[in-house]
Amino acid sequence: MEQENKIIKTSFPVKASMFVTGLGQLLQKQWIKGSLYLSCFIVYVFYLIAVGARDIKGFFTLGTVKGDAWLGIEGDDSIMMLLKGLLAFAITAIFIALHISNINDAKRANISLENGEHLPKFTKACATFMDKKFYIIALAIPVVGVLIFNVLPIIFMILISFTNYGGDIVPPELVDWIGFDNFGKILTLSSIKNTFFKILGWNFVWATLSTFINYFGGLGLALLLNKKCVKGKTFWRSFPILAYAVPGFITLLGFKFMFSYGGPINHYITMNGGAAIGFLDIDAGNMARIIGLMVNAWISVPTSMLLATGILSNMNNDLYDAASIDGATKWKQFIKITLPFVIFSTTPVLITSFVGNFNNFGIFYFLRGGLYNEGYFLASDTDLLINWLYNLSIDNNYYGIGAAISLIIFIITSIFSLLTYVRSNAYKKEDTYR
Amino acid sequence: MGKKRLTSLIVLVVIILAFSGCGNKKEKNSTTETITLRILENDTAKQKGYLDKLLNAFNEAYKDKGIQAVDANMEEYSDLAANGPYGYGPDVIYQANDKLMTYAEDKHILPLSIEDFDCYEYTPTEAWDAFNINIDGKTYCCGIPVNIQEPMLFYREDMMPENWETEWDDNKNGIADFFENWNDLYAYSKLLRDTDESENKDSQYGFMSSFNNLYLNGEFLFSYGAYIFGENEDGTLNAEDIGLSAGESATGLMALRQMASLMNEGCVDDTITMNRYEKIADGTYFCAVSTPDTYGLFIEKLSLKYEEDGLSETEATKKASENLKMVELPALLPADGDLSKDSSTMKENDWVDTIVMGGINGYGISSYTKHKEACIEFVNFATSYEMINSRMEMLGIAPTRSDVAEASDGITDTIFKSLEDGRIYLMPSIKAVDQIWVPSHTLLGDVAKDPFREMAGKDIKYPTKEKMKQGLEKVDKDIYDAIYTLK
Repeated sequence: MEQENKIIKTSFPVKASMFVTGLGQLLQKQWIKGSLYLSCFIVYVFYLIAVGARDIKGFFTLGTVKGDAWLGIEGDDSIMMLLKGLLAFAITAIFIALHISNINDAKRANISLENGEHLPKFTKACATFMDKKFYIIALAIPVVGVLIFNVLPIIFMILISFTNYGGDIVPPELVDWIGFDNFGKILTLSSIKNTFFKILGWNFVWATLSTFINYFGGLGLALLLNKKCVKGKTFWRSFPILAYAVPGFITLLGFKFMFSYGGPINHYITMNGGAAIGFLDIDAGNMARIIGLMVNAWISVPTSMLLATGILSNMNNDLYDAASIDGATKWKQFIKITLPFVIFSTTPVLITSFVGNFNNFGIFYFLRGGLYNEGYFLASDTDLLINWLYNLSIDNNYYGIGAAISLIIFIITSIFSLLTYVRSNAYKKEDTYR
Repeated sequence: MGKKRLTSLIVLVVIILAFSGCGNKKEKNSTTETITLRILENDTAKQKGYLDKLLNAFNEAYKDKGIQAVDANMEEYSDLAANGPYGYGPDVIYQANDKLMTYAEDKHILPLSIEDFDCYEYTPTEAWDAFNINIDGKTYCCGIPVNIQEPMLFYREDMMPENWETEWDDNKNGIADFFENWNDLYAYSKLLRDTDESENKDSQYGFMSSFNNLYLNGEFLFSYGAYIFGENEDGTLNAEDIGLSAGESATGLMALRQMASLMNEGCVDDTITMNRYEKIADGTYFCAVSTPDTYGLFIEKLSLKYEEDGLSETEATKKASENLKMVELPALLPADGDLSKDSSTMKENDWVDTIVMGGINGYGISSYTKHKEACIEFVNFATSYEMINSRMEMLGIAPTRSDVAEASDGITDTIFKSLEDGRIYLMPSIKAVDQIWVPSHTLLGDVAKDPFREMAGKDIKYPTKEKMKQGLEKVDKDIYDAIYTLK
């Protein structure tokens, strides 16, 4: 009975901390900590009264007053309201986390008091915290940075995909929530649906082929330049690096010129009596796609080569000697020794390379932008989803539908990356080569 | 422990520094009453020093009134819609009518009482109309016209055939026939091609243009009855009515294809747009299409050519300026689209008037300016006779002010008259115009490719007028879909 009374008596500060942040600590005579918690509570309440509640409400309404610059009516800016609402939710989430920590802290202090222990002074508590949970302080800035610069834009993009933002609906017009309508349009409007699936199919082919070509092109080059019989390896290695060192878009514009009718390739073809070839014409079709793959290889193979060169330098040559003694051919050695070793080390790179190629905006934007093919809605037959996304959202202001496509790309690439990685040896047998 | 404390201190300092940038800016107390206007002009005006001249002249004239104008110092196509509402846009913006009126649709630029401007009575109705917008049944004018833009023909006078006055001037009016009608331009271009004796037959061409560009080659459609957007009963534009396939525009495409057969395949993509300055300078092309604001680039390349030939810089520039000519596109196209017919056998009703695509550049005033009256003063000053005359002399523009045009030499006055006579199809002043370019460019380039498909022994895609018509109808549909599918 005495014990029960004690619990009821001592749990009052905990209960108080549940209602007012920091009050429990103040009742436990932790003045500084309690004041800090209470300050946060007051600041949050003040924020809610001043702007927070309005921002949260604005998040749901996205504005009710349309602006009219001629009449001097400022009106509501739906997109800013969306952002501010998002910020208000983020601040609320931070406050809730702080409030929970305040309750837990009051509970811990309560237990200490029940056990007859003295509560540590604030400075000592801080010193203990820094000593035992230093990782929290060290990671605070990176985590905040990731939240602001990575997570927030992704959430914003996701939210935009559920609005009718774009087309004629741009500020000062008011944007509205439309649920899954944008996704519905992608999957039901025949012109958009057909374009989406055609581009998606080509996008997978492109990402797979370009990753394969770039990876094995780089590996092949690295193996070639690793051969003992090759003289002046440093000299030869510098050439691909030079190609890599030139900014990508300059290279792409250069290639566009080279393949144009006035470019050097057609110049030499016509000079030798041939007919000029429309490498990148509207009806170039697969030829333009192959050129895209080759140009991408020109830009990307040096990276793979450098990576493979580094990995190959760690190979144990004894393995090859042993394999030779066992009668393994060079091809067998490559398949059974070199390839597993290199792939094991570079699986994460392969995944990022695939995702990078899946979202490779520059190649066809620079090589073959400004064309719409028959059977495609605001796109050409070489456009990838990312190019189509650009055409829709930047060239034609369809931000909502663009955001919906972004979300689909995000889901596809995320699922692919995660599945590939967790099924790879690099994940399953992490310690194999340690 | 010491290291941890140091790290914690650094983290704290970084957080404080990061947040020190937050919060409201304190308004600086201005000790003077001077109003500063931010003026956004085009890049050519900046590069050629006209903007400096305009700003200096305005600041000098208005120094006692406490108004000064400065370069807005932002990119020419800076987005007023995105920046203006937050106070970062320019106060006065110079742009083409289609861009300016896109802002007007969302009320980002102000309606103006145009009668209050000095240039009002000197500016033709067609130019004012380009800046009209109808909102809730009422028409507002949101821009002050400055100059007319249209595609022009650039050529070297010394490349004219020696016998042009006897052989190429049937009507003896002192203007070569190939600058008066397209059939003679075709005939002269064919002559040049047929007499090209270079090994690869690639050293002399006649008329050259990148055909994958509606703005530069719109005459092949608009002269034959095509239009971009139809009109509602109240005269406002109806973006649902798209008419690039209207009238006999397919006939115009037949003419375009015929002309392409005398060019190289550079007419299918941007090659000619890129190399026209150089190729006119070295004499490979007899004439090429471009806009008046590129006049300086033609002069520059030709001067370089003369310098290579041994002239001094001054002599080369002088000679290039004398030799390079800019004229309007030939005024007559064949009604049946057959450029190969002998022009001397054609009667008056065998021709249609050439109608080129063009635009009106002008000034608009941001709705977000805090100094509307001062902006009006600036625009009034910038569109005065003296400043427009100066703009014409420095930039080679064709002014919309009739008094300046009349006082100038032939070409600017001619352009002005073309506008008045309806020989320039002005870019529609509505947002939907953004959607016309890619579909039309794709088709024009594809049609221009046809002769080269034929030469290569491949199937041609547009063998008949009906096929051309279908192609144009598809463009209309693509434009419609681009505007309305996702609305």
